[in-house]
Amino acid sequence: MSEAELIVRCEGVSKRFRRAWVLEDVELRLERGSMLGLIGPGGCGKSLLVKMICGLVRPDRGRIWVNGQELGGLGERQMQALRAQIGMVFQNYALFDFLDVGENIALPLRVEGLLPPKEIEQRVAEILDLVALPGIERKMPHELSGGMKKRVSFARAVVRRPPLVIYDDPTAGLDPVTSAKIYRLLARMKEEGTSSITISHDLDGIRPLCERWLLLDGGRKLFEGDLAALEACSLPRVREFWHGD
Amino acid sequence: MAIESAKPSEEEKSWSMGVADATLGALGRRTLSSFGVFWAILHMSWEILIRFFPPRIDGAELMRNLYNVGVRSFSIIVVTALFVGAIMVIQAGIYVEQYGATGLLGWGAGFATVRELSPIMIALMFNGRVGAKNTAELGTMKVTEQVDALRALAIDPISYLIMPRFVAMVSMMTLLVVLGDATALLGGAATSQFLLGVDHLVFFRSFVELIHVSDLMLGVYKATTFGVAMGIISCHYGYAVSGGAVGVGRAVNDSVVSSAIAIFVLNYLVTYIIT
Repeated sequence: MSEAELIVRCEGVSKRFRRAWVLEDVELRLERGSMLGLIGPGGCGKSLLVKMICGLVRPDRGRIWVNGQELGGLGERQMQALRAQIGMVFQNYALFDFLDVGENIALPLRVEGLLPPKEIEQRVAEILDLVALPGIERKMPHELSGGMKKRVSFARAVVRRPPLVIYDDPTAGLDPVTSAKIYRLLARMKEEGTSSITISHDLDGIRPLCERWLLLDGGRKLFEGDLAALEACSLPRVREFWHGD
Repeated sequence: MAIESAKPSEEEKSWSMGVADATLGALGRRTLSSFGVFWAILHMSWEILIRFFPPRIDGAELMRNLYNVGVRSFSIIVVTALFVGAIMVIQAGIYVEQYGATGLLGWGAGFATVRELSPIMIALMFNGRVGAKNTAELGTMKVTEQVDALRALAIDPISYLIMPRFVAMVSMMTLLVVLGDATALLGGAATSQFLLGVDHLVFFRSFVELIHVSDLMLGVYKATTFGVAMGIISCHYGYAVSGGAVGVGRAVNDSVVSSAIAIFVLNYLVTYIIT
């Protein structure tokens, strides 16, 4: 796999909080247009790793490249420009509670200032149609159900059409019907050529979507490879997590 | 024998050493923590200052904050100022009645009001309403990952969240004190008319003739200074929150107390420097 084909690359990424290493020597490679399933038991460092890829947390050791740019040497301004190429759906939605749904989704476009207000409005309406929530622009986040919040968060993350989207547990706490809607959105983004990293505990749900898998355990990489290799892996801890053995 | 028994035993010595160690340790930690907070407030001031050159403020957020901070504080400031003016007239009224110096009532009540009471009382009310709300809002946004979400959307949280709040607090605090001065005068004039029987025109004439522009401006300078302090302190405590709902509560408490202390210290300094 050539460097140009990779949209994300992590080498020896480690993070320490106080004296304990919570992430140690993690390697990750994500090909353009593909989806990586980032799995592992709770507290193993999955969310921390994606926050580092998004440039929200700096690693204490190791290097991260996103879209060919190494994050380590970037200042906050350059990092902001890079983040515009990444969409992130947070586990607990992180919708701005002082803005309505339309303003939440439009915010990145409005602050960027590249599109006229009419076009932004149109883009917001289109993206709400895509997530099957048309006409809720004037609703406030507290008026929405968990599934609706998740879809609005998804809409906000992809409204700028970024080449890379990170989904942090996109179906956590949702019913099977809403989860299925979310998976259809993920599949649609993938069809459109968006690369993505998906953290999930719903292995059955993301199994058909992900080409590659990374399993973390205790802050360390336990497995990286495709589905066939993951299913055939004989490591007891991997089998325990994947097959429930 | 008696002298020997007065000497502390090894156990008592080690206990006293332990207490001394713990006390000094706690004192040291508290001092370091205070320096840390002071340094963080300086850092926040610097972050705000550099975003003025060139100005990086979100216009829509600024308008929303000006409305929330200014218009929504209007009623409590008017009520506070009315009573401040009225109380000062009652206090001055004792001497006015005693000496018959009705011509000095406007000056007596107005002097203390515009120079001291109006800025201080309005700042304390403003701190309780706007400063506490500001810290709570920012803190909640921090613990619910809304600040991280802003950064993930390539939006600078200081420009988007802090700058509009800071500008709104400074400008509205200044305007509210000007409004408060006028309202306090009305309160004072009404009290002098209905409670002391001193004509309101006499009250106003005494105020206009004996109060200088510099007296009014001192109050305005103080208001701006208090606004700057409350803006920085409330934003710092909100933005530095960690530890969930408990952390937000602690931050609001620290913010209100620190701002109140800053108001009194700055009041002393501004009065000392300008007078």
